[in-house]
Amino acid sequence: MIQLKTMLNCIDNSGAAIVECVNVMKMKRHAKIGDRIIVVVQKQRNFGPESGPGASVSTSAANKVRRGDLRHAVVVRTAKKLQRPDGSVVKFDDNACVLINKAGEPIGTRLNGVVGTELRKMKWSKILSLAPMHL
Amino acid sequence: MATPTHTLRPLTCWKSILRHTRHQKVVTRSLTTYHQNVPYSKFQLPPPALKKIKVYPAPPFPAANTKEPLKALCADQIALLDPTGVRTSLFSKTNPEAAKVGDILLVRLKGGDPFAGVCINIRRRGVDTGILLRNQLTRVGVEMWYKIYSPNVEGIEVVQRSAKRARRARLTYMRKPKHDVGSVQNLVLAYQRSRSGLRGSAQKEEGLKGGKKKSVRGKKH
Repeated sequence: MIQLKTMLNCIDNSGAAIVECVNVMKMKRHAKIGDRIIVVVQKQRNFGPESGPGASVSTSAANKVRRGDLRHAVVVRTAKKLQRPDGSVVKFDDNACVLINKAGEPIGTRLNGVVGTELRKMKWSKILSLAPMHL
Repeated sequence: MATPTHTLRPLTCWKSILRHTRHQKVVTRSLTTYHQNVPYSKFQLPPPALKKIKVYPAPPFPAANTKEPLKALCADQIALLDPTGVRTSLFSKTNPEAAKVGDILLVRLKGGDPFAGVCINIRRRGVDTGILLRNQLTRVGVEMWYKIYSPNVEGIEVVQRSAKRARRARLTYMRKPKHDVGSVQNLVLAYQRSRSGLRGSAQKEEGLKGGKKKSVRGKKH
């Protein structure tokens, strides 16, 4: 149930760590797995070894997005239970998304974390192929 | 006055002639004493030609035989979906060897990766009986409901039984970090290895395939 003001984890290496949903695209309801949303980057990811003196330069170089950026994203995990057509139900412990550009290609190059299989149904096969596993 | 009318409408003269006759008829009818009511039952009509309609006896009312139709339907469905009765016994309350909450279960699926996890809830509703499994994949908690009689579920195996009987029906407290068992992939991997060792080479290949995938997952934790 991703809606206005929902905070999500960003699980790609685009540089965003926590983002806030500001809009759900193309529908008047809350977003589920596979839905496209618009987010604001609230917290940047600081990469471990680079954080230190001169970290700002390297971080900005590694980070493709900055705090306060308005980006598009795809929901890949929801804490709300989601029923599949076969009757099984999937529920994750957190809400997570992957940043994409306006054309629908992921901004990051790696994903860390499981994603929902509903992405296949919604034609997000690029994200599925980047993910380490899907359920 | 009558003359111009007659010239214009020649048939009007008949009205004035017949008016008298009509009046006379009414008077004679009111004076008559001949009329008497004939009851309908006495009224004789020629007997109609009867057409023979074939009458069939009513089919037996099913509710008479079935006291609880929903229960019967449920039993029928279970017999259809679980002909051997393995699933029923695995989750029956009377079976001492049944899977209980707190056990680690592995659900093999048709056309999909198997899913393993701690069973934290068994929802017993006849043919709709479902189990809630919890696991951690890539350090993210995942919960899955599976219907035990679902045709998509190929098999349900008990990987490890809980050491102590759970004193709750639903172990939802296991979602809290304090009680969370974390990932059960290592246990499942060990179970699959041992099983593939016990079984023949035909099963070994499948077990190793699953095991390799699991070991990749296991390294992350």
